[in-house]
Amino acid sequence: MNIKIDSEGAFGSAVVELEPGEKFVSEAGAMYRASSNVDIEVVSRKKEGQGFFGGIAAGLRAMMAGETYHLSSYQAGRGPGEVGLAPTHQGEVRKVEIGSETWICSGGSYLGSSAGIELDTQYQGLTKGMFSKEGLVFVKASGQGDLLVNGFGRISEVAVDNGVTIDNGHLIAFTDGLEYEIGKAGGGWISSMMSGEGLVMKFRGQGKILVQSHDPSRLGGALGPLLPPRKG
Amino acid sequence: MRFDIKGNPSYGEVNVDLAPNETILIEPGAMSRMSSNMSSSFQRQGGFFSAIFRKMFGGENFFLGKYSHENGGSLTFAPSVPGAVEHYQLSNNNLNIMAGSFLACTPGVNIKAKFGGLKALFSGEGAFLLEASGNGDLFFNSFGGIIEKEINGEFIVDTGHVVAFEPSLTYKISGMGNWKSTMLSGEGLVMTFSGVGKIYLQTRTIDGIASWLTPRLI
Repeated sequence: MNIKIDSEGAFGSAVVELEPGEKFVSEAGAMYRASSNVDIEVVSRKKEGQGFFGGIAAGLRAMMAGETYHLSSYQAGRGPGEVGLAPTHQGEVRKVEIGSETWICSGGSYLGSSAGIELDTQYQGLTKGMFSKEGLVFVKASGQGDLLVNGFGRISEVAVDNGVTIDNGHLIAFTDGLEYEIGKAGGGWISSMMSGEGLVMKFRGQGKILVQSHDPSRLGGALGPLLPPRKG
Repeated sequence: MRFDIKGNPSYGEVNVDLAPNETILIEPGAMSRMSSNMSSSFQRQGGFFSAIFRKMFGGENFFLGKYSHENGGSLTFAPSVPGAVEHYQLSNNNLNIMAGSFLACTPGVNIKAKFGGLKALFSGEGAFLLEASGNGDLFFNSFGGIIEKEINGEFIVDTGHVVAFEPSLTYKISGMGNWKSTMLSGEGLVMTFSGVGKIYLQTRTIDGIASWLTPRLI
């Protein structure tokens, strides 16, 4: 398997080249092209040993993480094939190798992963989930293989050594083992609110974080007042 | 202060390394990540009335976020809309910035809203603009890419596309040629700049994307 990030910058996408028999999964709707010998299947998020209801529960948990209920699965039949994947919104796509590291994606950041990767949902707790703007449930990717994530804007990798503060709305993914707490940006509550940041995520430990340059809700705040009022 | 602008023109963001006790003032909400030791507070820029004036007419905030630390640290900030970020070095000169385009500055820079005159009402930028003066680093942003242009003589810009210009330039509002080309070219009114100096233009406008998007929303 070979993954090429097809276009960088404003409108990132990825092309996954599959050898015969190799498999890749993505969130439903992410495929924009595929070679004709690739079998496309809708699969549930059920894991081995889980029953019918286990699959439903896994799908619902994924929806809590801002992901689709089902996954799409792509398998090359006779001969090699390729699948093009792109996120819904503009922004970069990044490939992350999973193996020695396990990564946790914030809500909506997961785009796809190779068959060797096990996806699990991780509940963030009510307080964190409500205030982080990143969703109540995150997606944990472990095992061995490649993971694709997408972000709004540029994606940068940040190393956490002495602690890093991320404004809520900018988190894409982080390595397992890092801890974060929701807190105020500044010394006091008033200065945090007045400096316009309000709540931030404070990361501790040793690891890496992927962040996006722009916060979609700030674009919404700028664009919203210029759009006509809408019902419901 | 060391800075590095990355991601232009689509997703401009600024990485700043602050030396011990160095301060940067940022538009509220624009900080996206920073070293955990960094302390944030807020500061009113200029006098009380000047800050009120800037908020009411300059499309900017009453307070700015203020970031510094006694040991220094790093910080990244980005504007709310995707687009380019530009840096301008002020050394006792002025720069006019369109309302809403201010992103950040160092403490030696003063930002004031000023009335642009009646012609500014037709500029598509609002009747007020921001005047940056003093000494230090200034960062401003656009929706879309920023084109920097040295003008010597006359230069025509569509209304709504000016981000900033040096005060040595003056402009007047006019139509494109006769009334027919004004009405039918889709440009409407334009700004004709004259003089010698630098101008910064944006390749898109947020009003443009909003009106393009409006009929497509369900």
